[in-house]
This record gives sequence, structure tokens and C-alpha cells, in this order.
Amino acid sequence: MPIVVFHKGGQTYTEEVKENTNLVVRAGIKQFPYPHLRYECGMGKCAKCACRVLAGAEHLPPVNWKEKKQLGDRIEQGYRLACQLWLNSDIELVQDQE
Amino acid sequence: MAELMNRDEFRTALENAIKGKSANASPFSIAWAEGKLSREHLARWAENHYHYVGPFADYLGYLYARTPDSYTEAKDFLLANMYEEEIGGDRHTDLLIRFAEACGTTRERVVDPDNMSPTTRGLQSWCYAVAMREDPIVAVAGLVVGLESQVPSIYRKQTPTLREKYGFTDEEVEFFDLHIVSDEIHGERGYQIVLEHANTVELQQRCLKICEIGAQMRLLYTTALYNDYVQKEISLPELGLAA
Repeated sequence: MPIVVFHKGGQTYTEEVKENTNLVVRAGIKQFPYPHLRYECGMGKCAKCACRVLAGAEHLPPVNWKEKKQLGDRIEQGYRLACQLWLNSDIELVQDQE
Repeated sequence: MAELMNRDEFRTALENAIKGKSANASPFSIAWAEGKLSREHLARWAENHYHYVGPFADYLGYLYARTPDSYTEAKDFLLANMYEEEIGGDRHTDLLIRFAEACGTTRERVVDPDNMSPTTRGLQSWCYAVAMREDPIVAVAGLVVGLESQVPSIYRKQTPTLREKYGFTDEEVEFFDLHIVSDEIHGERGYQIVLEHANTVELQQRCLKICEIGAQMRLLYTTALYNDYVQKEISLPELGLAA
């Protein structure tokens, strides 16, 4: 099962999750990475859930059209929208403070 | 004699109750998946679907009001679902109308209740009746677990087809894309409420029953779409089904 390492505000949170996990879905039912992961619309429109992937990006699906639209140049810096990602392998990501 | 199930057993039982009458088996869904529907057929689908899913926040609103104050987290989950359905991002029904317009119909036709079939009216009425009259936990099982939680698996199959076989653009099919994420959250919230609060044998059995009925209602609805709008042009044998 994938291990998720999530950094936010200088803190690190780590947990094993089930295969095919979406972190925004998890946060939506108040499970890890709740309450640390910021998100809002859950539909790839607001980009509040944007995170920079530090490790494991190579296992993610290609950037989709919503991510291209919302993230623009930030994609080159490694940003992805957490709401658009179903995780099947280990990943390490950081979310900027607002 | 049924026994009280633990959370894992109960979740599996709920999932099985939903699978039994999946709408994926209806001729309309099969024709959709095979790319055999015309844009006119899809327009009729959108004109009906609007009246089923459009009032979803209304259904949940009735349910929210009847859920006991002590079920704070359950109420918060329902409220979050309502917010996300309507104003968390784009209004979901606006995206449905965008798809409908791409199929050649108009906003005016979509929102006009005279354009839904009697069966769609029946499904909508059933949703209102469940929201207003059932035990709130049983109602969550019927509407959120039984109906809403099915949506991601359905749309996960239908969305690539809409792009690849029907030639719609990403923006035109956004209604389907967003539901893969948001309805997964909503469905999971529904499961959490039901698993937490259906804590007697009787409540668990009623939840299972209403999931079965919800799946039957959805199958009835999609089957009627085929009968009302498609049957004259695409026969059952053309879909590999017995006439």
C-alpha cells in the first residue's frame, strides 16, 4: 500500500493509505491528511489543493487538462492538483502555506 | 435471522446490494458505452438527468433538517455535500447544461420539467419521498450510498467514451469529470454516516433494502430512457440483448 509523506508548515505527516487513494477524498471524510491538506471544490477548479511533488512523481498519471489550466507554469516546478490524483505508489509532497 | 454486522461486513453488504441491479446493465448504458447513441439521444438524457440530479441539494436539505442535532458530524457531511453540489466550485447543473448544449439542446429545454419522461418524474418523486419520510440514516443509505456513490464508477467508464467515440471536448464533458472526484467524496461521506449510525439489525437491513431499491429505481430510469428515446432507432439485438 502507498506511503504518503505530506509536508506543511514545517511539519511532516506520514501515513499508509489504501491503493487508489485520492487525498482530497480522504480529507473530505476527515481522514489523513485532514486537517492539514487545504482543499475546496474537489473538482479541479480552485487549485486550493495544489501540492509540489518531492518524490514519486514518475508513478503519477500525466498532467490532465484541468491541471494544465489551473497550474500553468507551476507544472514545471512539480505542482499537481491533489484532487486529480489517485495514488498507487509511494509519494512525498509539500503544500505551501496560504 | 439477520445478525448485527461489523463495519467491514456491513460495507461489503451495502456494496453488494448496490451492485445487484447496477444501471450499467440497462440498454441505454450499453448503447452509450458502445458509442451507438446520437447527440439527440444524449440531449434527451441531459433533459431528463437534470430533473433527477438537479434537486440533489434539495433532497439533502430535507434530510439535513430531519437529522437529529446530536448527529453533528453526519449533519456537517450533508451540509458539505450540499455546498459542494451548488456553490463550492461551478454549479453542477450548469455543467450538465453545458453538456446538453453541446448535444444540441438548450438551457430552456433542459430546465423545463415538461421535457422529462414520466419515469424520471417517478425517480425524482422517490428521491423526495425518501428524503422527507424515511429514517434519516436509511435515507442517506438510499440517496447518497445507493445512488450518489454509484456515479464515479459509471462516469469513469462513460467519460473516455464521450471524448473518444462521440468527439466531445474536455470542457463539454466536465460534468462527468468532476463527478468522478466530488461524488467519490460525497459517497464516502454517506458510507461513514451509515456505517456509524446504522447500529441495529433492523436499521442495517433497512439500509440494505433501500440501496437495492435505489439501484432498481436508477435501472428503471435508464431503461425508460432507452424505451422512450432510443428503441425505435437501435433495437435490443443490435446491442447484443434479447428482444
